[in-house]
Amino acid sequence: MIRKTVAVVAGKATRSLSRLTGRGGGTTLPGDVARIIDPQILTRLTQDLTQGSVVITGTNGKTTTARLVSWLLEGAGHRVVANRAGANLIYGVTAAAISGAGADGRLRADWGVFEIDEASLPRAVAEIQPKSTLVLNLFRDQLDRYGELESIAKKIEGALRSLPDNAHSVLNADDPRVAEIGLNLSRAPTWFGLDDPRVSSKTLPHAADARTCPECGASLVFDAVYVGHDGVYHCPNGHFERPQPEIAATDIELNGFESLAMSVAGTPIDMPLGGLYNCYNVIAAFAAAQSIGLEPAYIADRLRTFKAAFGRQEHIEFRGRKLVLVLSKNPAGFNETVRTAVELARGQNFVIGLNDRKADGTDVSWIWDVDFEMLKGKAKLVIPAGVRAHDLAVRLKYAGVTAEAPQTDPGKALDLLVRCTGEGDTVYLLCTYTAMLDLRAELVRRGWASPYWET
Amino acid sequence: MSATFTVGWLYPDLMNIYGDRGNILTLTRRAEWHGFEPRVVELGRGASEQMDDVDVFFFGGGQDREQALIYDDLREFKQDSLRRAIDGGAQVLAVCGGYQLLGHYYQTADGQRYDGIGLIDVRTEAGKKRFIGNVVVVSEIKGLSPSTLVGFENHSGRTYLGKQAKPLGKVTRGNGNNGSDGTEGCMQGGIIGTYLHGSLLPKNPHLADYLIAAALRRRGVDALSHLDDSAELAAHGWILQREQRR
Repeated sequence: MIRKTVAVVAGKATRSLSRLTGRGGGTTLPGDVARIIDPQILTRLTQDLTQGSVVITGTNGKTTTARLVSWLLEGAGHRVVANRAGANLIYGVTAAAISGAGADGRLRADWGVFEIDEASLPRAVAEIQPKSTLVLNLFRDQLDRYGELESIAKKIEGALRSLPDNAHSVLNADDPRVAEIGLNLSRAPTWFGLDDPRVSSKTLPHAADARTCPECGASLVFDAVYVGHDGVYHCPNGHFERPQPEIAATDIELNGFESLAMSVAGTPIDMPLGGLYNCYNVIAAFAAAQSIGLEPAYIADRLRTFKAAFGRQEHIEFRGRKLVLVLSKNPAGFNETVRTAVELARGQNFVIGLNDRKADGTDVSWIWDVDFEMLKGKAKLVIPAGVRAHDLAVRLKYAGVTAEAPQTDPGKALDLLVRCTGEGDTVYLLCTYTAMLDLRAELVRRGWASPYWET
Repeated sequence: MSATFTVGWLYPDLMNIYGDRGNILTLTRRAEWHGFEPRVVELGRGASEQMDDVDVFFFGGGQDREQALIYDDLREFKQDSLRRAIDGGAQVLAVCGGYQLLGHYYQTADGQRYDGIGLIDVRTEAGKKRFIGNVVVVSEIKGLSPSTLVGFENHSGRTYLGKQAKPLGKVTRGNGNNGSDGTEGCMQGGIIGTYLHGSLLPKNPHLADYLIAAALRRRGVDALSHLDDSAELAAHGWILQREQRR
């Protein structure tokens, strides 16, 4: 017990120091320090929660979905502790738990809502023992860091198998690899998905990972494709098919990056988030919230006033221009943000940002799987930015998209943006994680945005 | 009507991790800019038609699960046609998993051997540490300008060249074939095998043109037109500069 308190106090001190010295938000270092003092600190702290934890994993949508679940719980009067800044390794989760603890070392909250990096799920689940575990999707992402999709899928399956019988698994029926995980579990999961052919396409995009039948290896046949390889599918030899989702979104209406509407078993939802990919995040949060006892009518009402997380879909005013910052970190995610910006929002001005730091993935090969061809003939201004701006410039050239000269310096990218646009213009900044941080830091330095840990 | 240039993409659905589409796009766009009409023949499982028409084959990498699914198909439907096409002057670019499968065998950590189709004199054994990172190679292709190749490697296999295979080049950054003999990739009778992706060809337009020109030689095409490669070579040069600073 004393050890726990010491660990919490040391973690808190680290957090204050980290911010005072301007080393960023102090979103993971306190976790490192506390875990050295007490390796079981996360288990001990989450045991203090009066209700339990919800854990969210998957390649895309973790941060938004976690924020949605927190929003729903907070609106129902619960005290929530969450790792909000996308710090989703075990250290970031530990740091979040510490920040919610008092001077006595006790975590004072009802629910923990944690987004967890896919590869860290087994450890996180073992330490946190969540009431509900949500798996959003499994796309190709940062192969340099994680190894192959298959080994990630097996890790997630192992983590879900290790959960006690009273724990819920909430899984995306539309993702074939996630469905395979769910069908292997001894206890049936709650399935969610989309059910609206009007917003689907019939063919898989280039970014889609090969999806084959787990039984016979045949390529799956898709009757509807929503996002990446997520859709309605079956094995041509009848071995495997998309599980029927009990929580399904129908009557989907999309309005750019501004809003979306859908219906879930007769409950109408209308909220300020845009893009088809966010329909998955909303239906996932809906399913998770229901699994821990929230009522559909309350969920729909509360979602109306939701505010997106930093950089996920952030609006910043910059010298009369309206910047829309949208995190886009892998082929499936990028395809959806480009599609939403071009087709739904009718965007014409773009800054595309690509970095190759650890958090972005050091291998940038994946940009060749993004359908930047969608910008051709639609975009008036495209500025390739970020550490790997030159790679983007080549990618855009081969997509037949006319682009400005590559800008590796974020300040120069913003200056060019100002030169090439007029007041009142909207500019979409689609960037990988640290490319977004770099551009945002430059906007903060110039006084147009507040630091990310304050949002 | 202009002459066609045909790219044969082996297993586009299953062997396409690491943005291999960039290699296909580079071959087809550049062929177009050189005045040819590009065409892509997708050679999935069970397909072996039109392989005689192919100028350049591309064979990418896959994950273990997908690689296992094409293993028999490669032998049954592709091996003979591929050999015939290469004998006729077609070129092959094989990356990572594709490179390994064209060799004699891949041996796992516990000693199990998976036979390749033996079109190139190389063998691969599983290694403990995964080689991940940017790579700079000085190519041994005669007359290639610039002489450097840049890419990204991500493999645990250690590939060793036999007498008939020549290295594609020597690594100056990164690990290459096996991390010990300083070689990267191989060249043997119209086949280039390599661990470089990134994608490889977009940032190495000179290698793309080398493949296109070599394939078209049998059709009496002597030289390709000059293209403005400033964007491609700027990306190439940027990697060279950064890796040299490290």
